[in-house]
Amino acid sequence: MAQAATGRSHRVRHSPELDLLPVMNLFCVIIPFLLLSASFLDITIIEMSPTEGISTGAGTTSLAQSEEQQLQPKIILTNEEMFLGTVFGTRSISRVFLEDRNGEMVNRYDYDALSEALGDFREELDEAFPSIPVHKITILTVDDVRYDNIVKTIDVCADHDFNQPGLQVAAYSVLQRQLAAGTTGVLP
Amino acid sequence: MSAPTKRHLPLTLGYKKNKASIRGKDKKVTLNLTSMIDMFTILVVFLLKSYNAEGQIVTLSDALTLPESRSDHKIELNLEIIVTNEAIIVDGEPIVFVDESVLSEGNPIPVLVERLSDHLEYTRLMRGTIDETEMKVNIQGDVATRAILLQRVMSSCAQAGYATQNLTVIKVEGGDDEL
Repeated sequence: MAQAATGRSHRVRHSPELDLLPVMNLFCVIIPFLLLSASFLDITIIEMSPTEGISTGAGTTSLAQSEEQQLQPKIILTNEEMFLGTVFGTRSISRVFLEDRNGEMVNRYDYDALSEALGDFREELDEAFPSIPVHKITILTVDDVRYDNIVKTIDVCADHDFNQPGLQVAAYSVLQRQLAAGTTGVLP
Repeated sequence: MSAPTKRHLPLTLGYKKNKASIRGKDKKVTLNLTSMIDMFTILVVFLLKSYNAEGQIVTLSDALTLPESRSDHKIELNLEIIVTNEAIIVDGEPIVFVDESVLSEGNPIPVLVERLSDHLEYTRLMRGTIDETEMKVNIQGDVATRAILLQRVMSSCAQAGYATQNLTVIKVEGGDDEL
């Protein structure tokens, strides 16, 4: 091979280049496939627990179940106020205020206050009745409470391990009468 | 032998170079794909995260907006009931059109109970037996649905023999500011 007088080779040394075209081809196949299989909306469920007025057909009631039923709290949603009815008594949580939701004025409940009240109740319950696991909770509403408010209430309950919610609906007049008499189905 | 004319030269550069290539005006153009590969890699990672091997089990109706929840129970394939303030739809078939009379009472809705009982009986006949998994319904309710309507649907389900009622919701991640 001919060499220069200096003895150095004049062959040009190229840096090795990766051939990225097969990788591109692979990506072009994978991306449409993944786009078709991707789900951008995660749909889940809330499992509702049967409550009074919603029969399950099951007739077995053990002592522990009845104790749990006695201890289970109720959240009462009216159009003016939200209450928490527990074995220790029924008390008001917060007033209801209006908010603009998609151009419509709807009721908004104070879920922070509810969370705080449920947290306190959970602590009291664990101290007073440590052997009885209470996971059921009843949402008692007047007939025109919106569904999204019920779901948000259920979420707050689940944060405090009340993860077996049930739904009860009462007429406004009946609920007011029961609240005034302190007989919302929860022991005072 | 005469030299080949310019017209007969091959397009790819051979060992013999024409005058243009000698002057450096006929360089082979290559695309720099590195940045595109980077972008595709990010895209593939994002799509892999959203990848769902099970596919979409439920079909969401355009007529309703599902509420958002932090619940993470996976949805199962059950009988679907769609509840809006206009109608109650079972398995794609409108059963009850909602009016004031429907919203004024709190009992199970007879027409709905009958339809659900028929469906349960049909399932029993087809499979020979029925277990707890068939006695579940998924209720898709619009955010503006009134509680009385939801409760009537749920009590209708219970009366027809569907002991477990699931509320279908859209999952949101942890920190919802409204809660």
